[in-house]
Amino acid sequence: MSRFVKFSILLSLGIVFPSLAQELDSAIVVPYEGESKVKVRHQMDMQGMIMNENKETLPDGCREISEDVSFTVHAGRKYAEKFNGKMFAYDQQEWAVKPCSRITIKFVNDDHIRHQFMIHGLPEYLYPPTGMFHIELTGPGSKTATFIVSDEPKTFLVHCELAQHMEYGMKAQMKVGEGDGDLPSVPGLTKVERPDQYSVEWDIASIVGLLIATLVGIFMIVSIGVVCKKRE
Amino acid sequence: MRNKKILIIVSGIVLLVSIGFYMLPWFSGKVWIDPPETLVTIPEALETPDGAKKPKICGEKAHIWSGKSEIDGVEIRESLRCEPDNPWGVASFVKGTNNVSMMTLMKTRLASDAVIKKNDRDGDGDPDYIHITLEVSELNGSSPDGEKYLPTYDIAPGVRPGIWAFTPKTRGMAAINLFSYEAIRDLRPPSPAIRVEQGDTVIITLENTHYLPHTIHLHGVDHPYITRDGEGNDGVPITDEHPVLPGDSKSYALKPRQTGTMFYHCHVQTDKHLMMGLQGMFIVEENRPNNWVQTLNVGAGFVRHPSVAISESYDHEYDLHYQGIDKELNSIIQTVNDPRLIAQKMNREYDMTESTMDYFLLNGRSFPYTLKESIIVVKPDDTVKLRIANGQDEVVSLHTHGHKATITHYDGVEAPDGARITRDVYSLSSAQRLDLSLSATDDGLHSYGPGVWLFHNHAEKGISTDGRNPGGDISMIVYQSFLQENGFPKLQGVDINRFLDPRFYQGTLPIWEQSKAPQLLGQAGSVTPELLKVIIAGLILGLLIGLILWLFMLLSGSGKEANS
Repeated sequence: MSRFVKFSILLSLGIVFPSLAQELDSAIVVPYEGESKVKVRHQMDMQGMIMNENKETLPDGCREISEDVSFTVHAGRKYAEKFNGKMFAYDQQEWAVKPCSRITIKFVNDDHIRHQFMIHGLPEYLYPPTGMFHIELTGPGSKTATFIVSDEPKTFLVHCELAQHMEYGMKAQMKVGEGDGDLPSVPGLTKVERPDQYSVEWDIASIVGLLIATLVGIFMIVSIGVVCKKRE
Repeated sequence: MRNKKILIIVSGIVLLVSIGFYMLPWFSGKVWIDPPETLVTIPEALETPDGAKKPKICGEKAHIWSGKSEIDGVEIRESLRCEPDNPWGVASFVKGTNNVSMMTLMKTRLASDAVIKKNDRDGDGDPDYIHITLEVSELNGSSPDGEKYLPTYDIAPGVRPGIWAFTPKTRGMAAINLFSYEAIRDLRPPSPAIRVEQGDTVIITLENTHYLPHTIHLHGVDHPYITRDGEGNDGVPITDEHPVLPGDSKSYALKPRQTGTMFYHCHVQTDKHLMMGLQGMFIVEENRPNNWVQTLNVGAGFVRHPSVAISESYDHEYDLHYQGIDKELNSIIQTVNDPRLIAQKMNREYDMTESTMDYFLLNGRSFPYTLKESIIVVKPDDTVKLRIANGQDEVVSLHTHGHKATITHYDGVEAPDGARITRDVYSLSSAQRLDLSLSATDDGLHSYGPGVWLFHNHAEKGISTDGRNPGGDISMIVYQSFLQENGFPKLQGVDINRFLDPRFYQGTLPIWEQSKAPQLLGQAGSVTPELLKVIIAGLILGLLIGLILWLFMLLSGSGKEANS
């Protein structure tokens, strides 16, 4: 009960004084959506939310933090400008960290809509219930949060889970150690599995190339004919 | 000599082809005496491998959200249907997401700034400054990661057209969880019905989370053409403003002086964007003391917290929003991913003048899913207010079985007593609204007594889904004595579960198979070809191939002769 009271006070404070709530580091424990039995560490205010921040607890298999790294990750439409046919993106599409790293993400939203930095596949016992670490910004601004990865080499999906934002470019990968392969359709980095089709426009080089190749083909057949006739 | 040979061969080929045409059974065969037997197929969707019936359209018991409740001081009405609205969501929309407790907000997927309510300027006990934030969500859109549509939204079993909707500002994932592509409850058509009080200062912020430009046009709602600071406020790109680009936001401001049932929609490439689903109802309620209205009604439907004025005159209130979908238009977003290609296909290649509607929605669903959410529940002598909007490209001729309701308002304007017409087909042209007063008084005029009475569009295609009936916008007026505990009507006709089989709407299941005489009207079997005919046909085919080869040899031989 006391925990609930503490939580309510903190979060009502958070609504009145959003900046104050941003400073609150203590893990606020609430049942998520009233559906899951597992407790999720969840901080929320008018600027957005952080889920499952973990600054201290080591995953099984890690004896100590191997390195402290921090990244500033920008999100917005302008970062998709370099990717034709995409609309939203992060400023980077790939990060590499050592196993057992402690990673601090400063997530910056440069748009006037909601964006997310969501990472899946972390150990479920540390990031309940589904192994997710999540920073969400309700509009322009930034939030900083930390998480620790385990010792196994793995490629993690980083994405924005607003409807169709990942499909329209807000997708990246984070490789722990060597990683375990690449994810599909990371903008500018990896192949999509379902490519779009574009119209084909014949330029001079293609037309000339086709003509020359055709002439070469005819020449080859004729020369074979001449050679055969000579042998007869 | 050689030409004669060729002539003979060619005539032989023509002769054989004509005989073969008659001999081969092709794809259908005439039966002269004994037609084939009836094939009885068991709908797979209804049977699991162990023969047990799959879950029916509704659960066994009443939904935990259906009861009457009080959340954060907000009274939430009992909702007698098997998929009621989230009561915590209703409470958040009534009080404002800034005023409800965090525990309430956590039982929704709403963002903390989805609906901000404050400033009781006139001191009458309710907030007069309402700030609503809407996002734009795409449902059943394409993915570069394979043939899948996401986040998914089923309008009917197995039917997932691409849809856009204005949606309340939410938080977290668009899917219900990590293991599903299914969209969360707040992301659905129609765009939520907006309710405000007359004289409120209303700010509607459009946060364009979509990959195409959009605006909001307040159709029929009192609003200034430009705001005080000279910004366009009518949402029309060719008159007052540039469309809101992806990632940008824009606020519309209004202080409506008149009450009524109005409309709002995107005005960018309106013929397409409105039909894609960017349309919702906009209701201005009378200003009354202590009048906390339910600012958003997600998916329209039953109003669980009606306004003071409506509660005085009516027992219940419903928002009924009719929409149509042309699958040719709506599938564009499922075929390509590049927004430039989508814009090209939608705005330059698709021709709205050739559009035909394939799916018909009532409050975002087609039959039988309408029965989960959009039934009208009455008790004898109840009077119910129905606010109806037609978001289709065609006239809706809404018909109520067993009832003649009275039209009280046209396009939000109250009709004088003499012009209030009581009838059983109510016509709405595109974008029109009607307010009906539906009385359950059993007098042979207003109601013919308790029962389960259909209400549906009587423009007949409206009751079909991709041409298959029963589908479309069919729903029911259900008297409480005809309601089961789980909120599903007591039906004594054919098994409704049959319509849960996706094959029904693909047209591969016969209609009357589960009637009392399946052998009479089930799927007629097929015929096997007669063996003798097949042998003759094979012989002809062989002869044909031989003749053609011979013809070729002759022709190439002639080449040689000419060369030598």
